[in-house]
Amino acid sequence: MAHKFKYHPRPPLTFNMAPMVDVVFLLIIFFVLVSTFATAEHMPLDLPDPDDSQAFNEIVEDRVIINVQLADPDAPATSPVDYYVGPSRAESLEAVSQRLAARKRMLPELKVIIRADKRVRYAKVREVMEVVAENDIQMMNLAAIAGGHGGQH
Amino acid sequence: MSATGHNSPTESVHFRPRRKTRSRELTSITLNLAPMVDVVFLLLIFFVSTTTLKRAEGVLKAQLPKQGNLADEIAMPITPIIVHLTQTGAGPNDYALRLESFVNQPTTFNELRDQLADIQTLPGFDNQTPVVLKAGDNVAWDHVVGSWNAAVAAGCKHVSFGGE
Repeated sequence: MAHKFKYHPRPPLTFNMAPMVDVVFLLIIFFVLVSTFATAEHMPLDLPDPDDSQAFNEIVEDRVIINVQLADPDAPATSPVDYYVGPSRAESLEAVSQRLAARKRMLPELKVIIRADKRVRYAKVREVMEVVAENDIQMMNLAAIAGGHGGQH
Repeated sequence: MSATGHNSPTESVHFRPRRKTRSRELTSITLNLAPMVDVVFLLLIFFVSTTTLKRAEGVLKAQLPKQGNLADEIAMPITPIIVHLTQTGAGPNDYALRLESFVNQPTTFNELRDQLADIQTLPGFDNQTPVVLKAGDNVAWDHVVGSWNAAVAAGCKHVSFGGE
C-alpha cells in the first residue's frame, strides 16, 4: 500500500529585519545625541588642558571669539601667530581692535572669549588682552578643555 | 444520495454555483522595510563618518581692568598674592612657579592650588584676596592657563593678570 504523503508547502524564507532596524535606530539616536556640530567660530586648536580643569562648558551670550594660532603649525612656538575674529580670515591686531570697537558699539555688554593654542607664548595673548581692554571690554573668558566635573559656575 | 451511492431520480441535486465575486485574492499586508532601511543606513553612515569624538571645551572666567594696564587696580591696603611664572626651558614642562613673600614654593600647578588654598586660611587672607598672575613673555599659554586654573580651583575669587 502506497503511503500517502501530504504535501505541506514550505513557508517562504524571509529575512527578519526588525531587530536590525532596532539596532540601527539605536545607533542613530546615539550619534544624534552625542553630536555637537562644530561652529566655524571654533576653529580647530590645541587648547590648554589643565589638571583639575575648572573650565565650564557654557553658552556665552553676546560674545566675540578671538582665535590665536601659530601661523605655521609646524613652526616653533616662538614663531609668529595669526589672529582670527570668529570665522573670518587672519587679521592684524589693529583690524581685530576695529572689529571689537564696532561690536562694542552694537553690544555694550560684549564679552570676549580668547581661544589660543597652548603653545603660543603669553606675550602674543597678552597683546590680545590689551586690545580687549583698550576697547573697554571687561568680561573676558579663556578657553580650555573643560573639566569632567563641570568646572566653575 | 442513496445508500448505493447513486442519485435517485427523485432526489434533487443541489448545485451551488460559485458566488460571483470579483476574482481578488487576499494577499497578506506587509510593510516594505527595505527603503526605510536604506535611508536609515545612509543616516548612520553620515553620522559615523562626520562625528569626531573630542573633549568638550569650556571657559575660565576672567575680568579685565577698565584701562590699558592689566591688573593694576588692586585697592590698597589689601595685599595681593603674587604668583610669578617663568619658562625655564623649551620643554613642555619647563616652567617655574614662585609665590612672592612666601617661604614654601610650589613646583607644580597642583601644588600651587594647594598652597593658595592654605594661604586663604592664614590671618589677613581669604578667598577674596586678589591673586595676581605675573607671567613672563615667553611662557607657554598652556602654563598660564594652568596657573589661572590652579587659582580658580583653590577658590580664589579675584584672579587677574599682571605684567612680569
